[in-house]
Amino acid sequence: MILSRVVRGATGVAVLLAAAEVAGRTGLLDTQIMPLASTVLTEAAGLAVDPEFLRDVSATVEVWAEGLLIAALLAVPLGVLLGSLPRAEIALRPLIEFLRPIPSVALIPLVALIAVTDGALKVTVIVYAACWPVLVNTMYGLHDVDPVAKDTLRAFGFGRLAVLLRVTLPSAAPFVLTGVRLAASVALVVAISAELLAGGEGGIGVYIVRAGSGYRIDLMLAATVWAGVIGLVVNTLLVRAERGLFRWHAARAGVAQ
Amino acid sequence: MRLLGRRALVIGVIAALTLTACSGADTDTTAGGNNGLEKTTIKVGILPIADVAALFIAQERGFFKAEGLTVKPEIVASTQVSIPKLVSGAVDITLGNYFSVLAAQEAKMANFRILADTFQAKQDVFDIVVRKDSPIQSVKDLKGKKISVAALNSIGTLAVDSTLRANGLSPEDVEYAPMPFPEAPGKLASGQTDAAWLTEPFLTGVQKDMGARKIADTMTGAMADFPIAGWTTIEPTLTKYPKAMAAFQRAIVKAQQIADSDRKAVEKVLPLYTQIKPETAAIITLGAYPSTLNQTRIQRVADLMLEYGYLKSKMNVGPLLVPMPQ
Repeated sequence: MILSRVVRGATGVAVLLAAAEVAGRTGLLDTQIMPLASTVLTEAAGLAVDPEFLRDVSATVEVWAEGLLIAALLAVPLGVLLGSLPRAEIALRPLIEFLRPIPSVALIPLVALIAVTDGALKVTVIVYAACWPVLVNTMYGLHDVDPVAKDTLRAFGFGRLAVLLRVTLPSAAPFVLTGVRLAASVALVVAISAELLAGGEGGIGVYIVRAGSGYRIDLMLAATVWAGVIGLVVNTLLVRAERGLFRWHAARAGVAQ
Repeated sequence: MRLLGRRALVIGVIAALTLTACSGADTDTTAGGNNGLEKTTIKVGILPIADVAALFIAQERGFFKAEGLTVKPEIVASTQVSIPKLVSGAVDITLGNYFSVLAAQEAKMANFRILADTFQAKQDVFDIVVRKDSPIQSVKDLKGKKISVAALNSIGTLAVDSTLRANGLSPEDVEYAPMPFPEAPGKLASGQTDAAWLTEPFLTGVQKDMGARKIADTMTGAMADFPIAGWTTIEPTLTKYPKAMAAFQRAIVKAQQIADSDRKAVEKVLPLYTQIKPETAAIITLGAYPSTLNQTRIQRVADLMLEYGYLKSKMNVGPLLVPMPQ
């Protein structure tokens, strides 16, 4: 079943690439503006063994992982806290809803004023963007806990902490992981956007800037392909983790594949 | 068992992430002692363009090392980022195009200091081009047309304004479309713009790839040999690290002289910090790399900006220029 999904997914990609190639070869797309799909893929393959590009990839992955980790460390406890204290949540909700839609890349000039290193600048904007999906999902996860299970434990004399550890957190965990998965994609988008807008010593976005300055549209697109591939791999791994760790949840929610 | 395996995988991933996160700490060695410099590692903001070639020549030939300096270049994509980074100290020096630096100085965004001149326009370094089959034959035909520039309120609009005036038009006669240089060729080819103000390597690229036609060199008349950019810092940084800044000045000037006299040296370093093809680097038109910071020359920028309304009042650039150390 997994195999057939992979085959279908690959077919979709292949059809799109073939269409782009045909459009380029027949002159429908100007290849001066939009290089042939085959050219871009060849360059992308070359980038996979280009040490300079690999350094850029690791720079991006580093700020991404750092940002995502800090976001999770901040947002999960805060989400648990707000989810268990309804009054505090009501008080903070408008503030959260106000801050959440602010595009974090718009904060770059502001953050640049206080961030003493380029890495700190990027991690800060990534954390800002990646916090919200984790926070909101954690809060929802805590709301969704089965009240009967909690009452049962309480009836048997378990304290608040025990109820939190034995029922609430395990029950909310799948929501938290979904939040982290969404945040992982957001963090990658923000990491590369920040590199494109702010630059830096290295990164996939910085590579794209250097390629652009050399008038190498093919290399800009080839680097972009890798950004997409990394996003796909991260998402796939996290979906797997969700399914593997929380099979019971998927069964209950009726989304088992 | 299977569950255990997956859990181990997840824990492994988390551990890996934690390790990467920990290795992210920046080590900034600011220990003095070396040649009496207050700071031996300096971060320099650059753009991946020909203007900064001398920095990489100095790097490659060990001119910074000879002064006891370690220079770490990093790309700063725009002045919206480079100025805050100068203020926060994330970079110590940045490539600053004079137009932006003087405009930001008047707006009191920071108190700038220019350490060295780095790039000056020459013939055909900044041209206006049109499509091969375009009916536009001369600057006069640009009336009512859309022309792409790198940014509004920039050296680009100043250059085009000045070319329009020289041909009896005014800046209001055209529509400026701001976009990054790499996007401009595509927009021109697809007809979304009528003309493009470009520099290298895009100029060579569009003329070679799509047969684009040059209709004007914008660096003529009032803008002939116009100063483009210099190595810029801010007053607090200069006060804090005067010796490190002086060391940078000495090293960069040596490299400027090489860049200006030896084209091959520039061609060699260009592919180190942009993805330009070496064969393209060999044919693009380069500007000049001045090795003195001349007040009369930089004053021209302020005066022309004032004339075209980009500065509100007369500015004396003298206090901004840092004399070359002995």
